[in-house]
Amino acid sequence: MLISFNWLKQFVDLPDSVTAEEVAEKLKQSTVEVEKVERQGRSLDKIIIGKIIECARHPNADKLKICEVDVGAKLSIVCGGSNVAPGQWVAVAPIGASVVWHGQGEPVVLEKAIIRGVESQGMICAAEEIGLGSMFPKKDDKEILDVGTSVGNAYMRSLQPGTPLSNVLGLNDSILEIDNKSLSNRPDLWGHYGLAREVAALYNRDIKEYKTAVIQEGKDVKIKLNVESEIFCPKIMFVAVSGIKVGPSPEWLQRKLLAVGQKPINNIVDITNLLMFELGKPLHAFDARSLEFLPAGRQGNKNSLEINVRFAKDGEELVLLDGTKIKLSPEYGVIANHDRALSLAGIMGGEGSGINNDTTTIVFETAIFDAASIRKTSTRLGVRSDSSARFEKSLDPNLCEVSLARAVALTLELCPGAKVASKVVSLGKPRLPTGPINIPKNLFIQKLGFDVPLNEAIKILEHLGFTIKAGKKELSVRIPSWRATKDIAIAEDIVEEVVRIFGYDKIPSLLPPRSGALPLPDTLRVLENTVRAVLAGTLGYTETDNYSFVSRAQIEALGDDPNLYLELDNPLSKEKPFLRRHVVLNLLENVVKNIEFAEKLKMFEIGKVYIAEEPGVRAAASGSDLLPRQDVEMTSIFVEKKNEEPFWEAKRAAEAASSVLRLPWRYAPAETKPLHPWMHPTRSSWLTLGTDNTVVGTVFEFHPAVAAALGLESRAAIFALNLSVVDTLILETQKALVYKPLNPFPAVTRDLAFIVKQEITHAQIVSLLKNADPLITAVELFDVYSGSKLNHGYKSLAYHVTLESQAKTLAANEIGGAVKKAEHLLKQKFGAEIR
Amino acid sequence: MTIDLQQLKTEGLLAIKAAKDKLELANLEIKLLGRKNGELTNILKSLKDLAAEVKKEIGPLANEVKIILESAVAARHRELSASAWENAAAGERLDITEPALPHLDPGHLHPITQVGRDLEDFFAKLGFMVLDGPELESDYYNFSALNFAADHPARDIMDTFYIKGHDPAAPAGAGWLMRTHTSPMQVRALQKYGAPLAAIVPGKCFRNESTDARHEHTLYQIEGFMYDTDITFAHLKGILEAVAKHLYGPEVKMRFSPKFYPFVEPGVRGEVTCFLCKGRGCRVCKNSGWLEIFGAGMTHPNVLKAGGVDPAKYQGFAFGLGLSRLVMLKYGIEDVRLLESGNIKFLEQF
Repeated sequence: MLISFNWLKQFVDLPDSVTAEEVAEKLKQSTVEVEKVERQGRSLDKIIIGKIIECARHPNADKLKICEVDVGAKLSIVCGGSNVAPGQWVAVAPIGASVVWHGQGEPVVLEKAIIRGVESQGMICAAEEIGLGSMFPKKDDKEILDVGTSVGNAYMRSLQPGTPLSNVLGLNDSILEIDNKSLSNRPDLWGHYGLAREVAALYNRDIKEYKTAVIQEGKDVKIKLNVESEIFCPKIMFVAVSGIKVGPSPEWLQRKLLAVGQKPINNIVDITNLLMFELGKPLHAFDARSLEFLPAGRQGNKNSLEINVRFAKDGEELVLLDGTKIKLSPEYGVIANHDRALSLAGIMGGEGSGINNDTTTIVFETAIFDAASIRKTSTRLGVRSDSSARFEKSLDPNLCEVSLARAVALTLELCPGAKVASKVVSLGKPRLPTGPINIPKNLFIQKLGFDVPLNEAIKILEHLGFTIKAGKKELSVRIPSWRATKDIAIAEDIVEEVVRIFGYDKIPSLLPPRSGALPLPDTLRVLENTVRAVLAGTLGYTETDNYSFVSRAQIEALGDDPNLYLELDNPLSKEKPFLRRHVVLNLLENVVKNIEFAEKLKMFEIGKVYIAEEPGVRAAASGSDLLPRQDVEMTSIFVEKKNEEPFWEAKRAAEAASSVLRLPWRYAPAETKPLHPWMHPTRSSWLTLGTDNTVVGTVFEFHPAVAAALGLESRAAIFALNLSVVDTLILETQKALVYKPLNPFPAVTRDLAFIVKQEITHAQIVSLLKNADPLITAVELFDVYSGSKLNHGYKSLAYHVTLESQAKTLAANEIGGAVKKAEHLLKQKFGAEIR
Repeated sequence: MTIDLQQLKTEGLLAIKAAKDKLELANLEIKLLGRKNGELTNILKSLKDLAAEVKKEIGPLANEVKIILESAVAARHRELSASAWENAAAGERLDITEPALPHLDPGHLHPITQVGRDLEDFFAKLGFMVLDGPELESDYYNFSALNFAADHPARDIMDTFYIKGHDPAAPAGAGWLMRTHTSPMQVRALQKYGAPLAAIVPGKCFRNESTDARHEHTLYQIEGFMYDTDITFAHLKGILEAVAKHLYGPEVKMRFSPKFYPFVEPGVRGEVTCFLCKGRGCRVCKNSGWLEIFGAGMTHPNVLKAGGVDPAKYQGFAFGLGLSRLVMLKYGIEDVRLLESGNIKFLEQF
């Protein structure tokens, strides 16, 4: 929204020394966000008015003229303007002034120039060359700005040649651009008067009263008014004014509208727009002819009007002022005559019912419409206007009387022959919750931690329009109507009103007293960070972070069922509407994108997954509705081109995590439970924890066919943990770290190498060796070989076996005996061939 | 005999000092102190034939000489070792400008993790809990419980991702959406822990917003709140000023201006002086000298009520920091989309 500083100052007396920039800064700190302040006529620096004395033909160019221009001194200027003529007042850019050539590009500083052999001491400007293109649209491409015709030649006669053009045009205003979003909860700030009230409070001044006269009603025209729903339209007023002569508005009005970016249209429409920008209250003007009551088959009576505020009929059509044709339905409110909708109530007028050049009788409408309905309608239909922007903020019903009285007064002023032709027809007397709110006098120190002096608080509130009655312990605060529609309702609101004007900077910064509650540990967070430390800190993985959304194609390539996935109702990307059930999907996509530039990738992500069919936390304070389960999942991926067994790297990560977390999860074989389709059938393992063998994670190689379907040619291995599930088992399963007394006697290591059948597992061998003799305390695999040197189906294994005793140093025969025992058992149980 | 000992000591010490290498020293040690036939050993051995009085006199002297010679041998040994190393070291010189090989990539944590963790640690020291909440939220916790009016624009389908079958038209409580902020945890935490309470909630949030260099539909926030009987706006200022100083140093200035959020009253937005230009105005702060980094306010009584806490007894504040924004500012990242890009060239910089 644009705010004219001059307009604002009409309602509040500010010292001349107060600049627009200063006011903007104060408003920013206390009221709304001011995006910028722009001084009007900045582009008119050094541009002056001149009177053309003579135009002579250019000796070398047919379309150029040599003009002698009086700008106080006499200048000779070469000009190609199609309309340039002696006696004309024009805008002159002397040498040194800046102009924008043909209205395009950056401004350039004028220098003395020779044009086709004739010296030119400046330039006679077209409107767009000095930033006035929108104010004075051209009729002809080569036209220069005829200042006299544009401003009024009578007025020009009082001026001296050489006067700055900005003075002539009255461009001495500054325009504040306000961020509309910062106004969303302030219906009262959508016009100059409301903002002036804030400025008055900020400068400790009273705002000037907005004076209106009582409307002297007429009798000629009768208006019949029906309102279908008081909820949709809690208040509405109409009055007819006849004797209208539609024409351009006077200069002062046009200038005000132009200052705030509104194009002047005609006097009546301009009046409604003026009031919208002044009071923040949209009005609508109908041509009375469109409201004539026309009973079927009978002649209309121009003095009998019918207005219906109703919901649209299903399928009813309306062509809006901007030419869009819309189809209506009963949820939309319209203003209608006896048989058809004329305007979309509160949003936009319709074609054919507005003001035309031949309009002689008008009907002003001013109303309050339900904010939510207006917003819904304007959103659904995609029709937004200055009017709907205001109505959807919940406007003050009292503005109806004020705006109507002012509209009528202005009309009578601008159309000398006009007179009020009807009674003021009005329906609805909405009651506003204006309080009073009783607030204890110590409220400010209680909420702010700082005692705003009571007299200052009261003064601030009074400047903002609140009425205060001070009791012994309490203040009774009555809310002004313009703040009562939704903005102010409770004591805390009053605290805000006071503190924002008083100044947030005056409140001290204090550290709070130590809270009475001890913080509880967040075990899940600790778990996340420990896993991060292992993966990124120890193993050199890189953490990534992805959107939670995945595509149907991704899910299907994974071999999963899209029906299991939660789906967004309104996804931004139609491609990725589904909520991930596995972190791995987008992680794999990361790998596919990055592998092109890398030999090896080690990445992981920690994030939530969304499981539709399992219950999570509750959806409301009461009732049994539960949200879908949302566990935190860690997934790491290892890919190395030409590494055909990346499984071991994933397992390495799992082992490191297991060790650091002191969680002795078991590696259950693939067959333990049905594999996901994206898991390698013979290179997958489930990680289980606890007495119930709860699955907490997986280590697997990606199924090569599925990986290929997802665009990955290399083998990939995954280590994934459901951290939320691990978190629930951590108390039960985490191994306590207990110190073991150091053995004073040395341990001995012997290597055992043997050949066994492939199906004998490492786990079986470890179990056998550890139980072979009490002297064996540790067994560590250090080599595996299965290749052409061995018979098919056999593998060679080599272990370090540690032997020790807590009682003595072992003798050679004791060590030999234990190793023999182990070898014997290996032969006996597994048919091992000792090497 | 005393004279013998004195002489042995003097000559021995000279010889030890003169020993040119370890071998010569070892031979000398045997000659002087050898267990079987060392000169001193022989003198000590002959002690047993002497009279008790003489023994008393000579014994301690002999021992003293033994200790002196032994430590002289040891000292000369150290000297010889050191000089041997000196010679050897010249041949062992390493080019310390080479990197350690093979190269070890230390791994990288996501910048959101790093900045988030720094703030979590900071708040933990101040006594705040760190909480986690659902990302797929109910309409109730995301909006209604936070005092959003039924027709608040934020509820628009244009601003919020709804879940199919659970859009805003669904009956109350059955509306599901991707949380638009971390604020729902204010109410969830109050319901679970009651007051007094101090906690922060870092987390992923979602907005139905087209992405470009400055806009993301997925972003991270850190919510913080504190409730007790006497927590005031001055305390909110105190905490946020502490955060600002933690992030940008002791010189940083902070200012508040009003901003409307349904769940706080008064509501403010907070700006800090731009860390880059120190408030003079630059490209990062769009020449304003200020950076908006948080929204905050005193918790609305309706929110406390929704949390099951009596607003007549308890009061407090809440604030939200844009974590993604803090990350961008900290590292000078110009395109927010990089954060969720999974681009290894980006991630490996952190």
